[in-house]
Amino acid sequence: MKKYFALIIVSFLAFLSCEKDDICIDGTTPKLIIRFYNNDTETDLKSAQLDSVWVEGKSKIEDFTGVSTDSIYIPLDLNADITTFILEKNQVKDTLKFSYTKKDVFVSRSCGYKTVFENFQLDSNTINWIKNINITESTNSTIEDETAAHITIFH
Amino acid sequence: MKQQHILLFFISLLFSGVVTSQEVQDTVKVKESYGIRIGVDLNRPINSFIESNTKGLEIVSDFRISRNYYAAIELGFLDKNTNEDYINFSTKGSYFKAGFNYNAYENWKGMNNEIYVGLRYGISMFDQTLNSYTPNIEGTYFIPVGVEPNTKFNDLTAQWVEFVFGMKVETLKNLFLGTSISFNKLISSKEPENFKNLHVPGFNRVFLNNTGVGFNYTISYLIPILKKNK
Repeated sequence: MKKYFALIIVSFLAFLSCEKDDICIDGTTPKLIIRFYNNDTETDLKSAQLDSVWVEGKSKIEDFTGVSTDSIYIPLDLNADITTFILEKNQVKDTLKFSYTKKDVFVSRSCGYKTVFENFQLDSNTINWIKNINITESTNSTIEDETAAHITIFH
Repeated sequence: MKQQHILLFFISLLFSGVVTSQEVQDTVKVKESYGIRIGVDLNRPINSFIESNTKGLEIVSDFRISRNYYAAIELGFLDKNTNEDYINFSTKGSYFKAGFNYNAYENWKGMNNEIYVGLRYGISMFDQTLNSYTPNIEGTYFIPVGVEPNTKFNDLTAQWVEFVFGMKVETLKNLFLGTSISFNKLISSKEPENFKNLHVPGFNRVFLNNTGVGFNYTISYLIPILKKNK
């Protein structure tokens, strides 16, 4: 038995040093997930041909410039309590203004803290190409992860 | 090749000589000293010197209770700042460990060395201070601003068990140099709200599944109290 102690120690050490808590694999600050639905049927997804998407006063979000998609995910401003988005389709713009309360939640050593958005609500919006906007039931006015859509847009 | 064989022959002669001479000595009665050994961990002062954000000290002591068993305690304190990618926090507190070592090394006459395995129970009382953090968001569209809450979480506690493996060598009369490695597992801890005990004094870094590892380099002095026959 005594002979195997060294072996046990070495294998313990090898096991411990392989732990993955140096790499952040847990969820960080969630982005706002928007899905586009057909306004006529209200249950079918419908792709939108987006020219561009941006936050008021900022540059265009590259991932969603000139794309046709039925879902987008955009960051909320975690240095303010309001984010105003502009969605442009066929040179027609619609503005969505959201407000929320920020709360920082501890995740892990490597990820640190993520921001969760509570009391999330739609303050105002225009209806040019967008016909209707809903905050999904599962969101329950708190955006804390990216597992499901937070907003549905009918067009 | 031939030279090598001749060399091996002489080496084997030498070894057989050693073995026979030891058999003779075994009949001689050997006295072994029992007493309290007190020392200090060298790892922590060196770390304090190298890393300006770490201060620590550990006193180690053991007492021989039978031929192969030693009761052991460790007492220490730590004041350490840890900087991670998105958080910076400080840990400050003291700890106490108690347990035993089993010496598995068979000494020759007059030698007093140890290769041991041991178990410890550890307890620590400490504070954590969350100095600063930056909310973690993927991408660079919004650059988060760092927050400095300086939140202090007082009166935190942790308890754990350690499996120790180490050795001690008598370098001068009654003066021992030792090294050991320990594998730690948290049993319970009082965690801060909306934060975690990522470092515990005495336990060291807390890994994902509440395990830890520790290293010690000690210098200690044996105060002999009585001598017993082997």
